[in-house]
Amino acid sequence: MLSTMPSARRSRARFLVGLLLTMHGFFVAPLLVANAPLEKTMGIVQKIFYFHVPCAWLLILSTFVCAGGSLAYLFAGSERGDRLALCSAELGVLFGLCVMVTGPLWARAAWGVFWTWDVRLTSSLLLWLMLIGYGLARRYGGAGGRRLAAAMALFAAADVPLVYLSVNLWRGLHPNTRTVSSLAPGMRLPFFFSLAIFSALWGVLLALRMRAEHSQARLVELAIAIEDAEGNSA
Amino acid sequence: MTYVALAYGFIWGAVFIYVLLVGRRVARIDAEIEDLRRRLKPRA
Repeated sequence: MLSTMPSARRSRARFLVGLLLTMHGFFVAPLLVANAPLEKTMGIVQKIFYFHVPCAWLLILSTFVCAGGSLAYLFAGSERGDRLALCSAELGVLFGLCVMVTGPLWARAAWGVFWTWDVRLTSSLLLWLMLIGYGLARRYGGAGGRRLAAAMALFAAADVPLVYLSVNLWRGLHPNTRTVSSLAPGMRLPFFFSLAIFSALWGVLLALRMRAEHSQARLVELAIAIEDAEGNSA
Repeated sequence: MTYVALAYGFIWGAVFIYVLLVGRRVARIDAEIEDLRRRLKPRA
């Protein structure tokens, strides 16, 4: 126990430093965004873009990490992969929720409606629902729930190209994939800074959530050890 | 401006609540682990 304490403290210190840096970024990003040039047609409401797109990127990243972990669990029996899949799916649900809230706020101002069944919006909603389904399958799927959820994660990952390319394949209301590359020079720094800060936050949250899963696994091991000890002494 | 503030505020709120929930869970599990360790120690 004593020998593990310093490493536990180190990991807590690393987590706190990461969290502080990220939180610092969360205060700096709005300042950069506020100073970014105004978009001509949409005006100030276009600034939602600087938070909406990073959240959408993290929804996609979470889905891929979840699918990678699920693959490791399904084909190599990796428990660590399974834990990684669960944690990233949870983050996918969190950032997907942010996408589902910030997008309609932007849409209300830009298109006049909170929601429309545009192919990008619909496929993103499906992706988010698949990640929620992943969590539900794990929780209520019984003995085979984890394997079922892992298979669902692969389907969710297969939806990602559809989400990404939908704006180019079917011309809807949503801006296409060339929006970022065609940003005005003054908009690039705030956007990429915001993207970096959101990605760092994702990393910190994943580390925190993985720690919770690791502790949970240790708790189960200890409970089994106590049961064994009680069985031997009886 | 209201929509921009709402969007950013929502993200902040969601992340804050998530960190709070996970942090509380980690603390509860750590307390349970310590409790089990104490129970296991006299037997060793």
